[in-house]
Order: sequence, then structure tokens, then C-alpha cells
Amino acid sequence: MNNINWGKYSKPMILVALVVALTVLRGTTFLSVGNIANVLWSVSVIGIMVCGTIFVFLLGGIDLSIATLCGFCAVTVVEVIHYFHDTGLGLFVGILAAIAVGALAGLFHGFIITRFGVPAFLVTFASQSIFQGLSMVVTNNKIVSCTAPAAFTAIGSVKILGFPLPIYFMILMALLSWFVLRKTVFGRYVYSVGGNATASEISGINVKRVTIICYVLSGVTTAIGGIILASMTQQAAAATGSGYTNDVITAGVIGGVSLLGGEGTVPGAIFGAVLMGLLNNGLNLLSVPSTQTGLVKGLVIIVAVAFDAMQHADQSRKKVRKVVKKAA
Amino acid sequence: MKQTTLRRLISLGLLLALVILFTALSGSRFLNANNFIDIVRDASVTAIIGVGVTMAIITAGIDLSTGSIMAVVGMTMANIYAYTLWPIPCMILCGIIVGLGCGLINGYIIGKLHVPEFIGTLATMSIFRALTYMIAIRDANGVIQSQPMNISSYAVLGYAVGYFYFVVIAMIVFVVCGQIFLKYTRLGTEIYAVGANPKAATLSGIDVAKVKMIVYTIVGFCCSVGAVFTTARLQSATTAVGQDFEFNPIAAAVVGGVALSGGSGDVVGTLIGALFMVTLENGVRKLEMNTAYQYVIKGVIIILVVMFDAWYKGRMDRIAREKGAKEGVSA
Repeated sequence: MNNINWGKYSKPMILVALVVALTVLRGTTFLSVGNIANVLWSVSVIGIMVCGTIFVFLLGGIDLSIATLCGFCAVTVVEVIHYFHDTGLGLFVGILAAIAVGALAGLFHGFIITRFGVPAFLVTFASQSIFQGLSMVVTNNKIVSCTAPAAFTAIGSVKILGFPLPIYFMILMALLSWFVLRKTVFGRYVYSVGGNATASEISGINVKRVTIICYVLSGVTTAIGGIILASMTQQAAAATGSGYTNDVITAGVIGGVSLLGGEGTVPGAIFGAVLMGLLNNGLNLLSVPSTQTGLVKGLVIIVAVAFDAMQHADQSRKKVRKVVKKAA
Repeated sequence: MKQTTLRRLISLGLLLALVILFTALSGSRFLNANNFIDIVRDASVTAIIGVGVTMAIITAGIDLSTGSIMAVVGMTMANIYAYTLWPIPCMILCGIIVGLGCGLINGYIIGKLHVPEFIGTLATMSIFRALTYMIAIRDANGVIQSQPMNISSYAVLGYAVGYFYFVVIAMIVFVVCGQIFLKYTRLGTEIYAVGANPKAATLSGIDVAKVKMIVYTIVGFCCSVGAVFTTARLQSATTAVGQDFEFNPIAAAVVGGVALSGGSGDVVGTLIGALFMVTLENGVRKLEMNTAYQYVIKGVIIILVVMFDAWYKGRMDRIAREKGAKEGVSA
């Protein structure tokens, strides 16, 4: 009981502690509206992606193709816009095409994972290479810039009430994802399958269908993230989004999503994304070189997952002890 | 026994099919002795590291950090080369010790902290890469430089004696030792046992955590040897050593028939897989295709092989079950 309460309040406490620490260290720079908006802006793509990949994490699966799929979707939208001579119609078709690419990629992952029983990390690891190759083929390994139509660049940069548009997208996606997970039957199914796939199958849940839908959702949010990233940077290349796989996973595990499945919430994941943004921003303001943030993120993943896994091991050990006692 | 022989024949068949395909497409430009020597040379580092990765996969694990361990080892040696006057063997020894340390860290995280293999090594992948940047050689302005390591007593490791490059000889030693270790030693058998059924292994007195730690330390050792030969061949060390490399040994093991579910496969299979992957790269290059297609083809082949393995395993299980049921009825 104690443990659960500690877990519940630890996250806001870490966030507050971090804000206080950074305010003390770099007061005026850190605690300005501009900087806060900047932090949120920089994590909005990760936040949007984690809203979809959380479904996969909840199943106990993983998606290692996030980074390159994001790049491929960014390339898709930009290339389609160029194909339609930078018109508004091109933007519309491009967004649809990118989302379709993401959904198809998710469908492909889900199909192979469920039909052949192949581990998720291997399928997504292999398709990561496929997406990277495809983006390189399509762009001829160059950076494709895209500054028109105005609506396209507006997606990533226009400000409403002082905050850029992607932040509102992130909030919208979070609400949607939270609603699906908390208030719909499908959401309950996802938690159930992640907790115990066999038991869910026996109690009549179509585990395969749930799994496929989760991977499709992950693909779609990755595509949306890719579109917004392309719009923010006004360009796309095979390298767009590189490193985002680790960032999204880190955001999830900081936010208390168990990579072993069945545990985690959308607010938690968004919290994780924001915390990571603060961490990045703070390290930046303290002039720690960007090459070293990989060290911090890696350590965070290991500590969070190790804590989680040890707790699991402890619980099962307790269960065994209980059974043994009963038998005696 | 029969099943594993068949799987070996399939991976050999794939390799042969690829050779025939490229010979048909690009003729003598592909099919000549020099090119084959090149292919074997290029496959060597993948196969050396593949020996370790095979063991990790046999324990039902994976190692995604191999490329980053190579980078750390290379950069450690570059530092010693640049800032000390230590003899070359001493420098190599330090590199190997660092590699062993990295492997031990992976093993501890996986064995003792119970972090799932692919998450733990995904995290250490970025940690070791970040460490490489931190210890990188910089000029006076703090810009990262590549460190030339062209002293002849070190660069000789990249050379050849007659037709045999040193790296090829090292690969043969690694594959033979790895195969003997896996098949004929107590620890090798324990590695198979842990992968096939960890619970049964624990109950029969095997220290699963210890076996995993040893396996990942071996991976670290293989990576450091791979790094020594890579930097000797390039005659320099950069932060980019081993970037995107981690895919290759895993792909080689998968093509060579090492089951990701653990408990089966061997080092010779991985060697065939490594030759397959390098032949593919070489052939694509000889066809003067856009190298970007390599990424696509590699990914597709991995997925196809894995799908085939899953289908084949299911089929074999079904046949075995039906046979068992029949025998049960007749008895």
C-alpha cells in the first residue's frame, strides 16, 4: 500500500523538484514564458508519438522503427507536396498519404507479429532498416526542403496565445488517447492483453485483432509526429527523427509505463515526455554538450526498467513463498 | 538432429542462390578470386562479433550495443595511442579490458537487474556511444578529430600474409573456438539450457544470472577484438566506428538459423549468415545500384527468414505432436 502511494506522488514531486532546481541554477533564463513554450514545443513531437506507442508498450510489445518511420512519413509528406507543386491540395493529399504510410507500416508489423509469432522487437528492428532505405531511395539521400504552402509551415510554428500549435496537437492527442484507454472497451482490452494475453484469449478477447490495432495506432501517431516535425524544420531527410526511438521509450518509462506490459497511463507518458524536455533543456542551459544527453537517457531507461523488473521479480517471489507456506 | 541439418542446408542454399544470382547479373566482375577474398575479409569482423551475439541469442537474449562497444574500445585505444608511449600490445590489452568491462555491465544489467535484454542493450547502446564522444580526441578548439593510428606495428594487423588477412585468421580461430566451446564444454551446454528453458535450468542447479553475465562479457570481448581489427584496417579511430553495425551480427545469426526464441543454433551457422550478408552488400555494390537499397533488402530478408523459421517450427511441432498422438493410440 505504501509503495503505491509513493509511486503516485513521486512523479509530480520529481517534476516540481526539477523545476525548482533549474530555477535556482538558471533562474531568469529558465522560468520565462518563452523558455517554457520552447520546452513544450520541443517535446510536442515526442508527446504526440508516445500517445500512440503507449498502446504497444501496454501490450508488452515495442516499436523500434519509430525513428525511421517518422523520417519516412516526413519525406512522404514533403515529396507529395512537391509533386503537387506546393499547393494546398498537395498538403492535404500529403498528410493523408503520410498517415496512410504510418497505418500500413503498423498493419504490417501487427500482421507479422500476430500471424507468425515473431518477437516485436525483431520485426520492428528489421523494418527500421527498410524505412531508412526507402527514405534514402525516395530523397536520393539528400535533404528536401519545403517552405510552401504557408499552411504547411504554419502547422509547426504558428502561435496561439503565445504557444505554438504543436503543443495544442499534443494536448488533443493525449486527450484522445486517454479517452480510448480509460473510457472504451477497447482500452480495457489493451490493459487486459498486456497483463495476461492467455487469460484474455480464454475470456473471449480477440488478442490478435487488439494487437494489430495497437500497432496501427502507433504507426499513425508516428506519422503525425513526422508531419509535424517536417513542418517545424521545413525540411525532410532520411535522418529526420533519428534518435526518437530512444526518446519515446525514455518518455514512456519515466512516466511509469512498464515495458513488460499492462501498466501505464497517458498522463504519465506525457509527464515523462515533459520531464525529458526539461532535462534536455536544463542540461542545455547548464551547457552540458548534447552528445552526453544519450548517457543520461540511457541511464534513466535502465534505472526505471530495473526498478520495475525487480518489483515484478519480488512479487512473484512473494507469491511462491505464499504458495509454499500454504502447502506446508 | 535432422532438423538442424536441414536448416543448415537451407542457409547454405540461400548463400549459393545469392552467389549464382549475382554471377548471372554481373558476371566476372563479381565472380573472381579477388572479390571472394574481399568478401571473406569483409565478413570477418561481423563473424567475430557474431560468435558472441550467437551465444547471447542462444540464451534467448540479444545484444544491440555491439557497435557502440566497438566505438568505446576504438576510442580508448586512440587515447592511449595519442597521449602515452605505451607499447602497442599494451594498448590493445587496455582496449580489450574496456570491452570486457562494457560486456560485464550489459551482463549485470540483464542478469542481476532483470532488465529485458533488448531494452537494456538499447540503453547501453546510447550510453557507450555517449561515452565515446566524451573521451573523443579533440583539437584546441574542442572539435572532435579522428585519430590516425598508422604506426606500422599496429597497422600490420590490417594486412595479409599471402591470401590470408590476419582478420580472416582471427575469424577462423574465433569460429572454431566458439563452436567447440558451445558444443563440448559444460558452460556451453548451460548456455543452451538457459535459452531453451530458464526455469528448468534454474531448477537443475544452473546459475542463470551467472551464465548470462559470462555470455555478455564474451560479447564484449568479441566486440573489442572486432574494434582492434577495424581500427587497424582504417588506420584511424573515429566516433563513428561501429555506427549502425549492431544490425549485422544479429542478421547473420538469424540467416544462419539461430532461433531468437533461444536454445538452438550454432556459430558455424552465423558464419554462413555473415558471408550471406556481406555477399549481398558486395553484389549490390557491383551492380552499381543505389546503396540505399541495401537497407531495404536487408530488412526484407530478415523478416522473410524469421517468418519462414516461425512457420517451419510450427510445422515441425505439429508433425511431432501428431506422431506422438499416433504412438499414444497404438500403445
